[in-house]
Amino acid sequence: MKLEKTLLGMIIGVVALHAQTAPPDFSGVYYPINPFGNFRGGPAASGPPPARTGPPPRPTASAPLSDGSRGRTPNEPSLTPEYMAKWEMISKTRIAGSSEYDLTAKCLPPGMPAMMSMAYGMEVMQIKDKITFFSELNDALRRVYLDGRKPSQKVLDDPTYAGYSTGHWEGDTLVVDTVALRDNTFIEGFTPHSDQMTVHERIRLLEPTLLEDEITVTDPKALTKPWSTVKKYRKASREKGNDELREFACAEGLEEAK
Amino acid sequence: MKVPAIIECAVLGAALMLASVAQAHHSNSAFYVTKIITIKGVVKEFRWSNPHVWVIVTVDDGKGNKVDWKAEGRPPGILSRAGWTPKSLAPGEMVTIDLSPAKDDTASGLIARVTKQDGTILANAPPPTE
Repeated sequence: MKLEKTLLGMIIGVVALHAQTAPPDFSGVYYPINPFGNFRGGPAASGPPPARTGPPPRPTASAPLSDGSRGRTPNEPSLTPEYMAKWEMISKTRIAGSSEYDLTAKCLPPGMPAMMSMAYGMEVMQIKDKITFFSELNDALRRVYLDGRKPSQKVLDDPTYAGYSTGHWEGDTLVVDTVALRDNTFIEGFTPHSDQMTVHERIRLLEPTLLEDEITVTDPKALTKPWSTVKKYRKASREKGNDELREFACAEGLEEAK
Repeated sequence: MKVPAIIECAVLGAALMLASVAQAHHSNSAFYVTKIITIKGVVKEFRWSNPHVWVIVTVDDGKGNKVDWKAEGRPPGILSRAGWTPKSLAPGEMVTIDLSPAKDDTASGLIARVTKQDGTILANAPPPTE
């Protein structure tokens, strides 16, 4: 009896310890909450038709306006005069119909932190020492190392679109720092930044199927103060039939243009 | 100075090629996204390709001319989740397309929705995630 009690106590202890130390598993396919606003143009062709009488209303837009013609909102990063001038210059080209500063239109990766908008869906792959975020848009990928390594000088001298990310767990929250970012991507929308930008994230599950990423961007050259935003993603499921992302193969378009 | 015809042709050819590249690669800034016009015509080609799906539609302009419109849609991944398949549209069928016209005044636009002859609506994105 005494032995049984001891064993039971040990089992409870091990389970409790595991619950305390084992990080949550973020693995899965996710979609951001309402990335397209109300620009769908109608109900999905599959799925139940919505209750209504008469024909559905004619859409009034095909996509959110993204040329800056309505100026910047207070929620957007606060830019220094030099980078505000750059934004205004890019805005003019976009209003004129050009995408010349938009790397994603050239099939290049959106880069961090813009890629965490994940408008076309995200797949998270997690193992003990590494978590990988995949974006269906442009098949972009970022890796977050969790084994305690730090960016070397070689890494810092070699900036990339996704940058170099290292992270650690604080309870159920994954804390990630990203450095070594190229300066020709956008923070969000078409907001420019410098080569001094770094990104800090706190990622956690709010519910079993709701992932949150609190993103803080610091850039002493381009921003007058750090900029923060919160992204939320709903987990897909096999039951909903939406847990498979599709190949993007953006260069198909480059081939056709030849 | 008279420009030799062959150079004129080369310059025009290069301009057309650039136009073609620009057509294939752009963001939504190439379109008046908050304007919608409606075209009705016969599907000439349905191209299920990345980074954009294309529907080429032959439209009668009311003046006895047939104009081929290039309607651009979101990529196959997004449209699959909105209910489209590579067989959603076939050459020869009548469609009505609500689209945002291109800023370059060409007969092209960004699809808001496609309505098939039987009334089926192909939306340009899946239902919103909540």
